[in-house]
Amino acid sequence: MRADLPAFQDIWVYLGGSPLLALVLTLAAYAIGLQLYERSARHPLANPVLVTVLLVASCITVLDMPYARYFEGAQFVHFLLGTATVALAIPIHKGWASLRGRTHILLLALLAGGATSVLSALAVARLLGVDMQLVQGLWAKSVTAPIAMGIAERIGASPTLTAVYAVSTGILGAMLGRFVLDALGLRVWWQRGFALGVAAHGIGTSRALSVHPQAGAYASLGMGLHGVIGALLLPWAVQMLG
Amino acid sequence: MIEGLLILLGFQAAGELLSWLVLPIIPGPVLGLVLLLVFLRLRKTVPTAVDTMGSGILQHLGLLFVPASVGVVLFVPQLRTHGLALLLALVVSVLATVAVTGLVLRWLSPAGPNGEPEAHAQEPGDAR
Repeated sequence: MRADLPAFQDIWVYLGGSPLLALVLTLAAYAIGLQLYERSARHPLANPVLVTVLLVASCITVLDMPYARYFEGAQFVHFLLGTATVALAIPIHKGWASLRGRTHILLLALLAGGATSVLSALAVARLLGVDMQLVQGLWAKSVTAPIAMGIAERIGASPTLTAVYAVSTGILGAMLGRFVLDALGLRVWWQRGFALGVAAHGIGTSRALSVHPQAGAYASLGMGLHGVIGALLLPWAVQMLG
Repeated sequence: MIEGLLILLGFQAAGELLSWLVLPIIPGPVLGLVLLLVFLRLRKTVPTAVDTMGSGILQHLGLLFVPASVGVVLFVPQLRTHGLALLLALVVSVLATVAVTGLVLRWLSPAGPNGEPEAHAQEPGDAR
């Protein structure tokens, strides 16, 4: 046996055991994801979160690193989710001025949209005979991921599945939302933006922001309000219907 | 930057405390959001430090849910069987949500779709 081999393995074990590997892996994959997103002219399918998750998941599978150990290292990134949720108050506050007496209209549209989101997803999944454990994750999937995961913990659903559904929902909404809006002849920017924010949270919002500033402002508002109202009503809805 | 982070963490901690003591059904960070929003509404302007830190974090919001989402590796066997059905459920749901939200907005808006002054009037090129 060569003399340097055990030393190399020691280093590997050391790196694998410390948060460093998981952190570097996560940040490097995200940097690659961002690059790809810019190079593809911000195509929704090249969503940086999707790319990053696929890259990291492949890496830890190849490295034979158990998910629990990866998470232990990456939890420093995960922790900031709560802080980011608190920071969502900033775009809501900034969008507040543009509400101009539309509050009740927006709230009613949000309630109708939120209910549609949950009921249609649950109905289709149950109809197609999807596993109950997988179905539970659908409850909070239209709520912005950081809040959705908090809700998931409280309703006994898997936060992981909920996050995966939420990201997928965001990508699908950002890709397909405009076709629905065009087909229905909805041309008013604030209405388009709000609908996208309610249905596809953060990813839909960044899409709306890139199309029109007013659409973006209302999308942030839709995302933020859906997060707060969802956290209030979803646990109750699960008790009633679940 | 540090000041901004400290303020955000302060509201997060206050939210966690409130959730733990009074409203366990609502996640602490959501209560922190509400508290910060009330604070900002009362103060009218966003403190620069909070704005800088908060906008910085939100700009890379996507990165923050990577660690949790990677947990999808634990569900690979189940997703092999049910992945297509779930994708269909997500597509139907997001299309229906966009449609219902948009239609309710149009239906309830007093001016109606054609009377809205800002329909296309605020395209960047048209603004004066």
